[in-house]
Amino acid sequence: MISFENVTKSYRGSILALRECSVRVEKGEFVFIVGPSGSGKTTFIRLLLREETPDSGQIWLAGREVTQLAPWKVPYLRRNIGCVFQDFRLLPNKTVAENVSFALEVIGRPKHVVTTQVHQALDLVGLGKKQSRLPHELSGGEQQRVAVARAFVNRPLVLLADEPTGNLDPKTSLGIMRLLDRINRTGTTVMVATHDASMVDAMRRRVIELEHGELVRDQARGVYGYST
Amino acid sequence: MTMSMEYAAREAAGNLWRNRLMTITAILTVAVSLSLLGATMIMRQAVAGVTVNWGKGVNIIVFMHSNASGGQLQAVHQQLASMPQVSHCYYVDHQASFTEMKQMFSSQPDVYQQAGLTASEVPTSYRCSLSNPKDAQVVASTFQNQPGVRSIYDPIQQANTIKNISGIIQLVFVIIAVILLLSAAVLILNTIRLAIFARRREVAVMKLVGATNWFIRIPFMLEGLSQGIIGAIVATGVVFGMQAALGYLVHHTHSALLRSLVPPQHDVVTTVIVVFLVGMVVGALGSLIAIRRFLEV
Ligand SMILES: Nc1ncnc2c1ncn2[C@@H]1O[C@H](COP(=O)(O)OP(=O)(O)OP(=O)(O)O)[C@@H](O)[C@H]1O
Ligand SMILES: [Mg+2]
Repeated sequence: MISFENVTKSYRGSILALRECSVRVEKGEFVFIVGPSGSGKTTFIRLLLREETPDSGQIWLAGREVTQLAPWKVPYLRRNIGCVFQDFRLLPNKTVAENVSFALEVIGRPKHVVTTQVHQALDLVGLGKKQSRLPHELSGGEQQRVAVARAFVNRPLVLLADEPTGNLDPKTSLGIMRLLDRINRTGTTVMVATHDASMVDAMRRRVIELEHGELVRDQARGVYGYST
Repeated sequence: MTMSMEYAAREAAGNLWRNRLMTITAILTVAVSLSLLGATMIMRQAVAGVTVNWGKGVNIIVFMHSNASGGQLQAVHQQLASMPQVSHCYYVDHQASFTEMKQMFSSQPDVYQQAGLTASEVPTSYRCSLSNPKDAQVVASTFQNQPGVRSIYDPIQQANTIKNISGIIQLVFVIIAVILLLSAAVLILNTIRLAIFARRREVAVMKLVGATNWFIRIPFMLEGLSQGIIGAIVATGVVFGMQAALGYLVHHTHSALLRSLVPPQHDVVTTVIVVFLVGMVVGALGSLIAIRRFLEV
């Protein structure tokens, strides 16, 4: 599904964010990316989205080489990837339902498809009853659920989450992780970059650890760090 | 497809409304500059008509006093006949002049009826063709102080004076129009820049979920284009207004020269087309530059 082959990425020619990184992730896997701040986790995600291009190496997603993609094909690549961030990135003047349907409308999905898929996605994240609220009328955890619904509404092959629980308390975080787990069980590949040790330890899934841009650990049912 | 068009139109309209003060400023600037452009074109066409109207045959008219003696008439006639520059001449007598005047003032018969003019009080004239119309000045000066001569009418020179004056006005108008068009493009660019800034969150989400570049750009393109087009519509109104005013002036004037200024209808259509094209180009240019510089997709 996803494959990094000797990927090196530096910013402004000097700062090495990723060094000769090689990883394979199969379809339907759930993977944590851990590592200290500045180790290259966000860079990994941005490369996969083709928001950045690597200095060298190849990146494969669903049989396509991401780095070689023509610029006009990049939007179609992104339609296969759902994204969730620490800061939710919801549109403040749109309701919950509008935020989710926006993701389908702007890629030209017909109205009846939008209606049914938005309904299903909101039910999945448990916000069916709050669909007419504005983001500021929701708790942080609920806002992040809306963001997950928006990322998932187009049924992507891959769901990427960059510190999705960074702004949430442990209990709420656990709820979001359960939600990501549920999405993973529908067959969606899920990758979560996180600092949240307790979450990684609780889930016991595959862990990839980066340090100074190098892959230092790849463990099948791992924990956050060796120190514990 | 229809949904995307609907979306783009809705977005563009929303943006226009959100920045309505800026938008109105931009539209007015476009309208004023295009009106100037249209005025210049109408003036050009109207003045071009002057030569066409006077070009066939008569190059110079020598008006005689209505009470000029037979000898004075004879002298002028002989002199005209002997001049090498004059190729052909004919005399318009009292009766013919009176008829001509009646036709000229057919819409306001009181002009001559109230004055109680009779045929014998109307000036007669010699209408002459020249082998070379450029000699009109020379021929005219010969008769300037001739006894019995009332005035000399030199249509070519009159037309040239009008052309020179209108040429200067046209040049000034075009320069102002170009400056205003550039400002209009900058104003449109700025409204698009503001719209892009106001919608940066939406744009970021659209990029993330895989909206195509054109889908993201088209609402902003439409926004700039519609400002140009609305400006052009306003300017078209002004052009038709000017055309109507000119028509009124021409039909209610006593001056034969002004009467020749009627621009034919198809020229107005050309003017309107040019006004629209320029409006669209300015709108498209403003939004394209803004999109290039401020919208990273
Ligand atoms: N746009 C950028 N320009 C320059 N340097 C950058 C840029 N983005 C990231 N970097 C640098 O690249 C390195 C890796 O950054 P990255 O954001 O991938 O780390 P991270 O693992 O996500 O960190 P954190 O856990 O703090 O989010 C860092 O040294 C960072 O300073
Ligand atoms: Mg990061």
